[in-house]
Amino acid sequence: MLKMNRRQALGLLGATGGTLILPRFAIGQSARPSISIAVQKITINNTLDVWYEQSNVGERVFFPNLWEGLILRNWMGNQGPVPGLATEWKRLDDKTVELKLREGVRFHNGDEMTADDVVFSFSAERMFADTQPDGGKTIYEDNYKPKTDKELPASIPGVARRIWPALRGVEAVNKYTVRFHNASPDVTLEGRLFAFGSQITSRRAWDEAKSYAEWARKPITTGPYKVVEYRPDVSLVLEAHDDYWGGRPPLQQIRFVEVPEVSSRVNGLLSGEYDFACDLPPDQIDAVEAASGFEVQGSPIMNHRISTFNKYHPVLENPLVRRAMSHAIDRQAIVEALWAGKTRVPKGLQFEFYGDMFINGWDAPAYDPKLAGDLLRQAGYKGDAVPFRVLNNYYTNQVSNAQIMVEMWKQVGLNVEIEMKENWGQIHDASTPRGVRDWSAGAAFNDPVATIVVQFGPNGEVQQKKDWTNEEANKMADIIQKSTDRAARKKAFARMLEICEREDPAYQVIHQNAVFTGVKSALKWKAAPAFAMDFRKENWSF
Amino acid sequence: MSYVYRSGHMLSFFLSRMLRAAITILLVMTFAFCVLRLSGDPAQILLGPDAPQDAIEAFRERWGLNDPIVVQYWAYLKSLWSLDFGVSMRDKSPALQLVLERIPTTLQLTIPALILKVGIGIPAGVYAALHRQSIADRGVIMMAVFGFTIPSFVVGLLLVLIFSVTLGWLPSGGQDTWMHGILPTLTMSIGGIGILARFSRSAMIEVLGQPYIRTASAKGMSWRDVVWKHALPNASVPIVTIVGFMIGSLIAGAVVVETIFSWPGVGRLLVVSVSNRDLAVVQCLLLVIAGTMVLANLAVDIMYGWLDPRLRSKSAAH
Repeated sequence: MLKMNRRQALGLLGATGGTLILPRFAIGQSARPSISIAVQKITINNTLDVWYEQSNVGERVFFPNLWEGLILRNWMGNQGPVPGLATEWKRLDDKTVELKLREGVRFHNGDEMTADDVVFSFSAERMFADTQPDGGKTIYEDNYKPKTDKELPASIPGVARRIWPALRGVEAVNKYTVRFHNASPDVTLEGRLFAFGSQITSRRAWDEAKSYAEWARKPITTGPYKVVEYRPDVSLVLEAHDDYWGGRPPLQQIRFVEVPEVSSRVNGLLSGEYDFACDLPPDQIDAVEAASGFEVQGSPIMNHRISTFNKYHPVLENPLVRRAMSHAIDRQAIVEALWAGKTRVPKGLQFEFYGDMFINGWDAPAYDPKLAGDLLRQAGYKGDAVPFRVLNNYYTNQVSNAQIMVEMWKQVGLNVEIEMKENWGQIHDASTPRGVRDWSAGAAFNDPVATIVVQFGPNGEVQQKKDWTNEEANKMADIIQKSTDRAARKKAFARMLEICEREDPAYQVIHQNAVFTGVKSALKWKAAPAFAMDFRKENWSF
Repeated sequence: MSYVYRSGHMLSFFLSRMLRAAITILLVMTFAFCVLRLSGDPAQILLGPDAPQDAIEAFRERWGLNDPIVVQYWAYLKSLWSLDFGVSMRDKSPALQLVLERIPTTLQLTIPALILKVGIGIPAGVYAALHRQSIADRGVIMMAVFGFTIPSFVVGLLLVLIFSVTLGWLPSGGQDTWMHGILPTLTMSIGGIGILARFSRSAMIEVLGQPYIRTASAKGMSWRDVVWKHALPNASVPIVTIVGFMIGSLIAGAVVVETIFSWPGVGRLLVVSVSNRDLAVVQCLLLVIAGTMVLANLAVDIMYGWLDPRLRSKSAAH
């Protein structure tokens, strides 16, 4: 007969317990690689808040590794919507969407995500402050209020209302069901749910933070990686969130390091200091690819480089001159010369991921110097100078691109003068005549309302800054924004493109933007057609 | 009587210097205040080119940027008086805290670099002067010219190419270990070594040609004593001036090197804050930098008096 004393029995119990715990512990501890990524900038505003850091660089550190929405963007695919923290959704009417939340999703603090967190994430305290929705009043205002007040950065409500202009509020139907109520009919509500900003954060974490700044340096979210340490302007360390609903993340740690100089990023990659070097200009691609064991990945992203016209400039007030400017540019030559053919000329200010709203057959203005010359003659252009305000390579190749365009304009007889500016404030300065300026246009979600209406519509920056306006275009923008008739919306979008790019040009598209990342060839990772870098298990193999 | 006379003059000397220092700092701050506000809108810069107008307006209102510049300036002076240096517009942290956090990081580079500059540059220059027209002299001149004519960003990249990319001995950037500090420190010191070697050599050559050096030698004094007791103290006035400038730039003198080597010090903070028009941080930085420079100049003035009694009596007579 087996004899055991109390100590032996306790030991056996301990061993049995150990066999149950050990596999999970071992899984958690098994070696996973950590990586280091050199970026030009980690964030612009020194926070990790999706509503305050609405920048390209923010997209890279936020998505899809840190922040997640109810609907996710298909980063490695067509950039369209895929289920995220919500598993399914349906329209109740033109103004209301109901979503079923994924059960068992854990925040980085261990809490389960519930409808309360979703309601809070779209609340006045988190986003809208005291702003009211277009055509309605806020509802559910007093529900799920956080226990502690935080002073939101002053710009957040304005930015939030740009994505959610008419959201009245979110209703928690039960623990795992929410309803989004809009003040006006909107066919793009689902699109807005995966826009940059519409991501979910833990209400408890917000409550517990002493200040907005403290919360925004370490937001508690549901993403596959959590913030360990953020040193503004220096580095950001993310660590695997092993309770991630999408499975155990493949990397132990991701370290973003701010390396402002491109040559330092390239040298750091080649010397083994970093595994990735981001924001490489096209002229560095050969240098990296010539080194053994390294490659450059990248592709066009959902962002077009454009230049906009100020129609109130004495020369540009005649639309024929602006049309001439558009036809004088050989866009393909720019793509070949400055981008080594690694991007493309877009089909106007639109993106394929618009789906059925994409206007097939529409193109950027053809390169036709003869037509440009004829248009200038018809306009009676006398050679007066047009100022062209340019920043020092805020956009990749910006200065070279501007110089090439000025030469192309010169060839058809246009006198365009570059004015170098230091910042956006100087670009928009209205105290001296404004002519042409550089800009870019992206798409927060898969509908033209997110691009042409946001930027060139009646409330868009171009009209707010008094660069351009057009009565008919504004009517079209209104239809795109408010109509629920898809055919009417598409027709309005086509007409708006026609006005803004041909009849009364507000801008001209130049090329699609592209990003390039130097990477060690041994790493089995693919770049997304975006600034975002996907380090989920589906995009990483050993 | 003479003691009272002298101490009274020393007091007036100090007071006049302090007053001059205060005026210098006030002028620097006023100039920076105006230039920053007249050369770009922080709201537009910080919120980016796509920010909605509502957000820009709300930002301006929150930070008082819609007030007339005179009102803003008066508010700034009042807050300075109560030692309130303001809050960063970027991340809402206190500006002084951001600046103070970065100073030790910069000093980790600039102090060792200063030691190298002084420890190598001055002896090399003195040695070259004492062995004029020799191969060593030619070598020192050549290295000095190389050191101070090649820009630090070229030297830095060259060192990275050799020691990081090709040999793989040292890290190329960052601040993780003491090894990360080697290349930036070397980069910073090479130019300064060249400058100090050149100035020390010229100063020594000039002093060695003076009659009192010949007199001391003729009196039978050993050459070593002549150099240590007569030549070096007399040659040190111009050298102290240069070292004073170097000490003055301990805090802000590493802008380029910090950028190349991704070293998160004051220089990086200055570049980022200026380009973002983070007004409170830039103003706080400039206050600290101007203060350091003024203090270094004051120290140099005092050193002059200690090194050369003639200058002390001139100041007193003044």
